[in-house]
Amino acid sequence: MFWRQPRDRSLWHMILAPTIWALHFVLVYGVTAVLCAKWDAADLARLTIFASTAVALTLIVAVGRGAWRQWDYLDGWDDIHDRPTDNHRRRFLGHVGFLLSLVSTIGVIYVTLPAVFVETCR
Amino acid sequence: MTDHSRDAGLARRLPEAVTQPEPVGPFPPTDEMLAVPVDPALSREQADRLKQAWHTPQGWRYLSAVNNTEVGVWYSMTAFGFMLAAGVLALLMRVQLAVPENDFLSAERFNQFFTMHGSAMMFLFAVPMFEAISILLLPALLGARDMPFPRLSAYGYWCFLIGGFFVLGSVLFGVAPEGGWFMYPPLSTEAEGLGPDIWLLGLSFIEVASIAAAVELIVGTVKCRPPGMRINLMPLYAWYVLVVGGMILFAFPPLIAGDFLFELQRSFDWPFFDPERGGDPLLWQHLFWIFGHPEVYIIFLPSIAVAAMIVPTAARRPIMGYSWIVLSAVGTGFLSFGLWVHHMFTTGLPMLSLGFFSAASEAVVIPTGVQLFAFVATLIVGRVKIILPMLWIAGALAVFTAGGLTGVMLALAPFNWQVHDTYFIVAHLHYTLFGGMVFPIIGGVYYFYPSIRKKKLSERLGRWSFWLTFTGFNITFLPMHLTGLKGMPRRVFTYPGDIGWDWLNLVSTLGAFVVAAGILVFAWDLVRPKGHQPLAARNPWNGGTLEWSHDVPAQAWGVRSVPYVRSRYPLWDDPGFLERLDAGRFYIPDAPEGLRETIVTSAIDARPQHVARITGPSWSPMVAAVFTGGAFIFPTFKWYLAAGISGAFAVATVIYWLWTATARVPEAPTKDAGLGLRLPTYVSGPKAPGWWAVFITMLGDATAFASLVFGVFFYWTARPDFPPAGAEHADLRAVAAAAAALTLAWATTLGARELNRRTLRRAARILLGAGAALAAAGIAALILAVRLPEMDPTSHVYPAIMWALVVWTVAHIGAGLIMQLYCLAGSFAGRLTPRHDADLWNTTLFWHFLVVTCLVTAAVVGLLPRAL
Amino acid sequence: MRAGLACLALVPALAACEGRQSVLDPAGRDAAVMAELFWWMLGGAVILWLLVNGLMVYVSRLNRDALSVRAATLLVVGGGIVFPTVLLAVLLSYGLSEMPRQLAPGTGLSVRVTGELWWWRMEYLPEGAETPVISANELRLPAGSRSELRLGANEVIHSFWVPALGGKTDMIPGRETRMSLEPLEPGEYRGQCAEFCGDSHALMAFGAVVMEPEAFREWLEHEATDAAPPATEAARAGRAVFLAEGCGSCHTVRGTPADGTIGPDLTHLAGRTTLAAGVLPMTADALKRWIADPRAIKPGARMPGFDHLGDARLDLLAAYLEGLE
Repeated sequence: MFWRQPRDRSLWHMILAPTIWALHFVLVYGVTAVLCAKWDAADLARLTIFASTAVALTLIVAVGRGAWRQWDYLDGWDDIHDRPTDNHRRRFLGHVGFLLSLVSTIGVIYVTLPAVFVETCR
Repeated sequence: MTDHSRDAGLARRLPEAVTQPEPVGPFPPTDEMLAVPVDPALSREQADRLKQAWHTPQGWRYLSAVNNTEVGVWYSMTAFGFMLAAGVLALLMRVQLAVPENDFLSAERFNQFFTMHGSAMMFLFAVPMFEAISILLLPALLGARDMPFPRLSAYGYWCFLIGGFFVLGSVLFGVAPEGGWFMYPPLSTEAEGLGPDIWLLGLSFIEVASIAAAVELIVGTVKCRPPGMRINLMPLYAWYVLVVGGMILFAFPPLIAGDFLFELQRSFDWPFFDPERGGDPLLWQHLFWIFGHPEVYIIFLPSIAVAAMIVPTAARRPIMGYSWIVLSAVGTGFLSFGLWVHHMFTTGLPMLSLGFFSAASEAVVIPTGVQLFAFVATLIVGRVKIILPMLWIAGALAVFTAGGLTGVMLALAPFNWQVHDTYFIVAHLHYTLFGGMVFPIIGGVYYFYPSIRKKKLSERLGRWSFWLTFTGFNITFLPMHLTGLKGMPRRVFTYPGDIGWDWLNLVSTLGAFVVAAGILVFAWDLVRPKGHQPLAARNPWNGGTLEWSHDVPAQAWGVRSVPYVRSRYPLWDDPGFLERLDAGRFYIPDAPEGLRETIVTSAIDARPQHVARITGPSWSPMVAAVFTGGAFIFPTFKWYLAAGISGAFAVATVIYWLWTATARVPEAPTKDAGLGLRLPTYVSGPKAPGWWAVFITMLGDATAFASLVFGVFFYWTARPDFPPAGAEHADLRAVAAAAAALTLAWATTLGARELNRRTLRRAARILLGAGAALAAAGIAALILAVRLPEMDPTSHVYPAIMWALVVWTVAHIGAGLIMQLYCLAGSFAGRLTPRHDADLWNTTLFWHFLVVTCLVTAAVVGLLPRAL
Repeated sequence: MRAGLACLALVPALAACEGRQSVLDPAGRDAAVMAELFWWMLGGAVILWLLVNGLMVYVSRLNRDALSVRAATLLVVGGGIVFPTVLLAVLLSYGLSEMPRQLAPGTGLSVRVTGELWWWRMEYLPEGAETPVISANELRLPAGSRSELRLGANEVIHSFWVPALGGKTDMIPGRETRMSLEPLEPGEYRGQCAEFCGDSHALMAFGAVVMEPEAFREWLEHEATDAAPPATEAARAGRAVFLAEGCGSCHTVRGTPADGTIGPDLTHLAGRTTLAAGVLPMTADALKRWIADPRAIKPGARMPGFDHLGDARLDLLAAYLEGLE
């Protein structure tokens, strides 16, 4: 099945980082909606947001490290990957996966900022 | 393999599963293999047979054509026609707003016009245009003969045509919807007349067609690439198609779920959005914008994809930062789902929630910026030649950058509170949509036209059109920023003369007519007779990608032979490529069986897997679309019986179409695909494009279902009286019975597939029959569970949403039941055998999703309310 | 004000930004902050736009020869990732930190505003008061303090907005939303419904008057009193027409038997700057036109026309209503 594919041949692995971003987003949105609507518990909501951000960032960094290794940029400083070979396909998927973890990291940090500046459920 | 007597002989132990043939032969081909010449006489014979197989019907039968080159042209010209109509509405509105307190249009007319302008531009132009152009171009870009499901494209087109005329035609009869393209309740739930029903049913109908096209485009990109075109060699356009297809799959279903609830309220008074009975108008806004914001990117990304094809040609070098552009497409696709509440910044949600969406709205700028800078970078390292299409792309970038920069402003919630729903937004959205859609698409038409119609459009008219449109656009929309900042709200049919909006509006109106002139010049260039004009050169812009390997004059076969690809720009990098292609030295150069075929390859590395037989001309897509249209359109007039009959005919037509044209037992298990390769002619399960289509469709379907479940949780958080204190709940025993019956129905379907594979055909039939009976029992039990006097769906939103879940689930079980019976019939008829079991694989896959739907429904209806 | 100066510098005619409904001509704290933010963002946007498009022109028209791959890569990494990430983070942080300030709770007066088809019900609740002072179609606020606005709607969604004072908030049936405004400069401004609400959405506005705190207190005290008795013969006759025609079944004029609540409260109608929710001037002539045929002025309006009254009796009605200071 597709989720058992090795990561150097998998689109699913390539989009892991933004998927983590999406899950983090849904989680903080859902938690805030419930905690604020039902219990007016802004502090608990913010705490949950910070905690889930820590988890999400850890996961994304792990994914990004894997992708970085797969990209193997330092071996030849190549970022074109346009040959019809297993190696280029593997490195291409790694490259995109790495860039996506970069953008996902920025995304997760951005989405956490509201909890820094907003302290109430208003 | 179809031997009945084996059932008895092997009854004592379970026999081995029948195996399917695998590809045999060398891959990839060596240079020597590719260099082997083809006898010219043989090549001519092959070409003749191909021509015969791909012959486009003539005369009135032309309308039964399903070839992507025909359907794609109809599709895009229809969408363009709808765009012109919606543009006329815009001009009429601009006339009304030219001077203060004008009475050129009545309030009602004006409101109908702005509603239809937005709805038509979005649903009848922008999204269908992407699908149309992709249907037209994708096979050419991928060196494929056609899309994987040509009849599905045709069905989608006819749905679009019927639905579009129905929705847009309502303007002529003065019954058009007038609640805005966002149809907010309670204004639109309470509105009298047919308008909202026309909008809801007509556009749902078109959305279904859009999803069908998205499914086809995804499968086309993933499974129909030419051998050797690995994922890192795909043309960027295909990457965008993949991303946008995925986005449609997750963005449109929430709107369909919303439409479903909305129409239940309009037709049967189920109070989903009525606060008096526990409903909440904001649920619609969420569902609408979960669709509505990704939709903006669904429109924008394909147009950028067009730019990504033109820029390298203009720069005369490969695109700079291919991976970066893939990153930006995928990243934008994801982030665009975290923006929807920025259309709801003023609805009084908690600041924290607004903050998340504000943050994501800023974050999405980053991948978008990467995209633009990658283009600029390509131009920097290339030796730029400003060809006419590139002029349009440059204009697009100039306009879009401005729209993007105001977008950065709008993403800040406090600033948004000031300018939301003003002309500042009108300016912003037209900058993004003209820059992100209209300019690139027209540029794309100038670029790709020679590949589609084998003639060139006029360079002179193209430049005139560009400068008129570009100047007119800025005259119209640049002042609107100021109009909005000076406080003019959107969607007003009149305004007083003493606030300082008058001269700005007059300028905008004048500009609008300049835009119209520009678009008209383009339209004329497009349709003017070109009979006397010489044929265009085969590769007039000197592009590097496969669409420029097309045949001049046109051939219906798509490609003479399906190429082996080993570069991102085969026409630049692979000398001798065209000669080999034309001589038929690549794959499937022949059609000895007289069948239409294309090659199916593996998803990542594009290794050849299968020669797919694809469907040819037929009236069934059109007939099915007409009946489907009846099922959607008749309820507008409350003709429910007629709608039901029409729906039944639609199902019957689709069954006929599937039965006669899909998953047919081939004459031989494998065939010679050329270059020494023998490929299977029939595959089932994950190797088959059909299985992928079901999988992808069901992802979208699951999203719609998830939106309904989201509705339950939304009511719970938003309303203190959900579920109301002391409310009666669904009958737990009946719910449990339904869950059990449906789980068993799933298990028997799965069992039938396994037994059938092991040649136990009779046992498989018994299980399929039992599965159908269990599915029917499940339907009955689910309905009984909520058919209680205390659960009147009109009384309160709680029983209403429970009923909605049950209705949704029951409809799906009904479909699952039909599929079981279809397989049963196939087994008896000999079109479903132990080796030829694609239908059964697809049915099982459907049931995997269905059983999850059923169990979630059972849990939400039976258990959740008791726990809340 | 700095924003005003910026406007002067960037736009040839200062008048271009002025207006009693202009975001760029602020009279309240929130609006002023946003106007200034806008000028900063506009400046930045213009610079960035010129840079990107200047580069495009340079590489495609002026210098068509290939430049280095290194420069191009730097552009993608720097321009695509590093620069926007930093800039947007700063901007986002500013926007987020401004949110709690703009939504801070009010400190004294609270006004409940309800959106109707197509007018505004206003209920003033000064700090500590038990019962609200009921009015309609005109918002009056004291300068220098933050007032709380509690927003609701009947039937359909509206959006409450006074651009000169601050941002807008939707009014949603079945929900109560809130916002707060801190007006700074006394004067007369204009507010308007910003969410499409049906036929006469375009004709749903209101006057917004910012007053010195003392003047506001006096006004509110006066607004709480019953209607002044008719002072002239014509006005007295007009009141008789008003009551005989059943106007009181929809409208309230406190101190008379008219106690309807379907339409706007008319107790101090003539004290407002506009008629029919910001659509007509408060003149006798406009009153007559409105009463004779409201739907000619406001399509779909709920109020029936009274043109059967004839000119003479409409004159009397107008005389009465004009006296409701």
